[in-house]
Amino acid sequence: MSERLRDKVRGISQPLYSNARLINYYWQRARRNKLAVFGLAFIIFLVLLAAIGPFFTLDPTAVNFEEKNIPPVGFTIEQSVYSIETDELSTKEIHGTRRHPLGTDSKGRDMLAMIVSGARVSLLVGLIATGIAIILGTIIGVLSAYRGGWVDNALMRFTDVMMTFPFFLLLVLIVFIFGPSLAFIVLAIGLTGWTGTARLIRSESLSLRTREFIIAAKALGASDNRVIFRHLIPNVTSLIIIIATLSIPGVILAETALSFIGLGDPTVSSWGIILEAGQHSLNTAWWVAVEPGTMLFLTVLAFNFLGDGLRDAFDPKSNI
Amino acid sequence: MKTTMDNVILKVSNLKTYFFTRRGIVKAVDGVEFELRRGECLCLVGESGCGKTVTALSILRLFDSPPGKIVEGQIRYDSLDLAECSSRQLRQIRGKDIAIVFQEAQSALNPVLTIGDQIIEQIKLHLPLDYSRARDRAITLLSEMGIPSAEGAMSYYPHQLSGGMKQRVLIAMSLSCNPQILIADEPTTAVDVTIKAQILDIFRELKTRRQMSTIFITHDLAVVAEIGDRAVVMYGGKDVETASVSEIISNPKHPYTSGLIECLPDISKTADRLTSIPGTTPNPLEMPQGCAFHPRCPKAMKICKQQEPPEIITSKEHKVSCHLYT
Amino acid sequence: MKHMPNHKLLKIRNLKKYYPVTAGLFSRHIGDIKAVDGVTFDISEREIIGLVGESGCGKSTLGKTIPRLEEPTSGEILYKGADVTNLDKKGLRELRREIQIIFQDPDASLDPRMTVGDSICEPLIIHNIGDEKKRMERVAELMEQVGLEIRQANLYPHEFSGGQKQRIGIARALAMNPKLIIADEPVSALDVSIQAQILNLMIDIQERLGLAYLFIAHDLSVIKHMAHKVAIMYLGKIVELANKKEIFENPLHPYTEALLSAVPSFKSKDKDRILLRGDVPSPLNPPPGCHFHPRCHRILPICNQQEPELAEVSEGHFVACHLYV
Repeated sequence: MSERLRDKVRGISQPLYSNARLINYYWQRARRNKLAVFGLAFIIFLVLLAAIGPFFTLDPTAVNFEEKNIPPVGFTIEQSVYSIETDELSTKEIHGTRRHPLGTDSKGRDMLAMIVSGARVSLLVGLIATGIAIILGTIIGVLSAYRGGWVDNALMRFTDVMMTFPFFLLLVLIVFIFGPSLAFIVLAIGLTGWTGTARLIRSESLSLRTREFIIAAKALGASDNRVIFRHLIPNVTSLIIIIATLSIPGVILAETALSFIGLGDPTVSSWGIILEAGQHSLNTAWWVAVEPGTMLFLTVLAFNFLGDGLRDAFDPKSNI
Repeated sequence: MKTTMDNVILKVSNLKTYFFTRRGIVKAVDGVEFELRRGECLCLVGESGCGKTVTALSILRLFDSPPGKIVEGQIRYDSLDLAECSSRQLRQIRGKDIAIVFQEAQSALNPVLTIGDQIIEQIKLHLPLDYSRARDRAITLLSEMGIPSAEGAMSYYPHQLSGGMKQRVLIAMSLSCNPQILIADEPTTAVDVTIKAQILDIFRELKTRRQMSTIFITHDLAVVAEIGDRAVVMYGGKDVETASVSEIISNPKHPYTSGLIECLPDISKTADRLTSIPGTTPNPLEMPQGCAFHPRCPKAMKICKQQEPPEIITSKEHKVSCHLYT
Repeated sequence: MKHMPNHKLLKIRNLKKYYPVTAGLFSRHIGDIKAVDGVTFDISEREIIGLVGESGCGKSTLGKTIPRLEEPTSGEILYKGADVTNLDKKGLRELRREIQIIFQDPDASLDPRMTVGDSICEPLIIHNIGDEKKRMERVAELMEQVGLEIRQANLYPHEFSGGQKQRIGIARALAMNPKLIIADEPVSALDVSIQAQILNLMIDIQERLGLAYLFIAHDLSVIKHMAHKVAIMYLGKIVELANKKEIFENPLHPYTEALLSAVPSFKSKDKDRILLRGDVPSPLNPPPGCHFHPRCHRILPICNQQEPELAEVSEGHFVACHLYV
């Protein structure tokens, strides 16, 4: 994850401004990138879906074996049905209905409801886990760069060690030990995913530290604290935003992968859980796998587009 | 009157190089005209943003295209119009007939190759010499440039050299194929005063010993006074005054030129305060109406805000674009 | 610009700043970069001292060491009698009110994330001066002093030109009413016509507010208009120190002569220029004896054996050269 990130976020040094006039300036630049705008639109749609969607859909946990494996609206499939009375296999045509616009799964649960509640899970996991990782990474990165010396050495060696652990196996280990609850998954992802951020923030801070405005602040009498919080960190904010935006898809996919191998939280219907169930019925009920898969694909794409667009908008050298 | 037409080796006519960016059209060069005569040192003088560097890049079409484009004008060299000729023809001319030395010696040299390799590469690109002959030539050039123990220096990497040496290596590279014209983009700007003196000396030598025709770009009028034969003063993408250097210094006609001369912190001046030109150089996206200099001009008249000044030829081949002389 | 003799503001005695160089797996100490190698001079109130030298001579390092932005290796820095090298955190903050710096690159010296008004106001906030209202008034006053409009206070650095950014830097330096301003090549990065504007501004301010300047430059022609006294630096040492008139009319050290003759000037088209051989040697490995001897055009046999001391040769004129001992 960190190699891709490093590639994508190189060359950022323009900060994020809190003045409305300048947010507009960046917005003007960002919106010229059509893909980024689509990405942002999709993410907003997703957020709305996750926030208010559950109020409008059926209960995602309502099991109803009478209505199992109904295809999405507009599709028709043939199902083989075994009749006890006649001891025969016959094929029956099942049509999609508007009651279950996206169909149902093997237990009769409404797909749309599950996708919507999955959106909520994925976004929460994405935001919280990324939040933890970013905060940890920033603290370590800035401290390392600013203090230098043995602090820098110690922190970076620690980071190196953390990096050598195979990220995913570490996740598996944590979840295996502590149990597959969503909270632990989020925590685990957050506590293992900060290393790339730390490296990037550290290198950006290092180059900022020798910039004259930092020396100027010290020359004015600013304390170390003030220099770090008032000058250094605000100037890495845009980098942080970009790292965050580009990390979220990775985090969502990590949760998905965990669910896929059976370590996900079964009480929650995240897209990964649905996907895992759906892989067994690709022949008979392809939509159970395809729908969460498509959502994941679009979500990852959206965040990546947005992240790229933001990076271009923030980069003072790019000629937008 | 002696005809100088046969003597002209490069003629730039009404050159316009525009950059089409999303924020608007930057008219970096907007109708520049001058000629370079054989064996002379022509200086393009002006401050940042006046278009002198883009003019030099335009001659060899070295700017990024898009967004840049030569929208009008001709650059006559030999029998070619460099503004229109094919890329293949241009590539043959670059480095061989017309060479350019850039300002930042650090970034112009490849940090992972020895300077010997870089010069030899340059030589072999254009001349049909084998490796050892090319190497000998490179060593000769380096020692001509005053680099001590040139043979050993061939295996140095750029980071092992000082700023002045790097600049000299660049000049050696540009001379390696015996070009007809050398374009030097502010070679003395980023260096110390004593190194500046050494480099100016090299250019003086080039003129006397090799009769090199040079276009020397600088913002420093004192440098112009030292080594220039003729000067073209540029402002806002246009040439505002052209004359021999002695004329320009003793009899400047355009208010910008006299302003520049006055505000030089010259060591021979005794006044306590410096005269300065008020205001700032114009933003290329928002050029003033009429004469680009009028907002800062002490002699601005009403017509200066409305109309661009025409080019007027006064005596002794002295050209100036200013309403004061109509 | 008549100069009245005043109290001594700053006394520097044998100041040294070495950067240790290490090599190898265990960071063995193999030598030092002697950026500042025993510098001694004084600055009085209201005095402008020009410090001239080429890149690598240590003038910028000296400028940063005086307010302890770099820690001195040895030597004394006495500001108004107090030893700067021994000040605690509180004392250092007090010092930072009186000694301010103007930097070379106007682009890099302003925080791109702060409005220029905030940047100018920052020293007032750091030192707890006044309340919000008083600070705004002071910022307005400062901006006017440097020739900027008050309404520009809400703009960000990238919306200004180079010359304007330098004015902002000056305004910020003046916020605390300093007594001494260390100007580190303040006009080198500006166009010629803007240089003149900024230099005039600095002269005005100096006269009006009674400041002392340590004006660091690589070009003698810029110093000529500003300085009362000039110090010439080479490889970490001061090789000549005299008042302006003496330096320009009667330079003693061969390096000073070379510097003077190297400046291109309108009148110098055909003059004999003293061309120095070679380049400035590395401060890691300076030549033995007088550091300048390999490039000197007036070298004596003793020059490669013994380092010359900075000595007063005539009233107020100091030079470190064997020719005058």
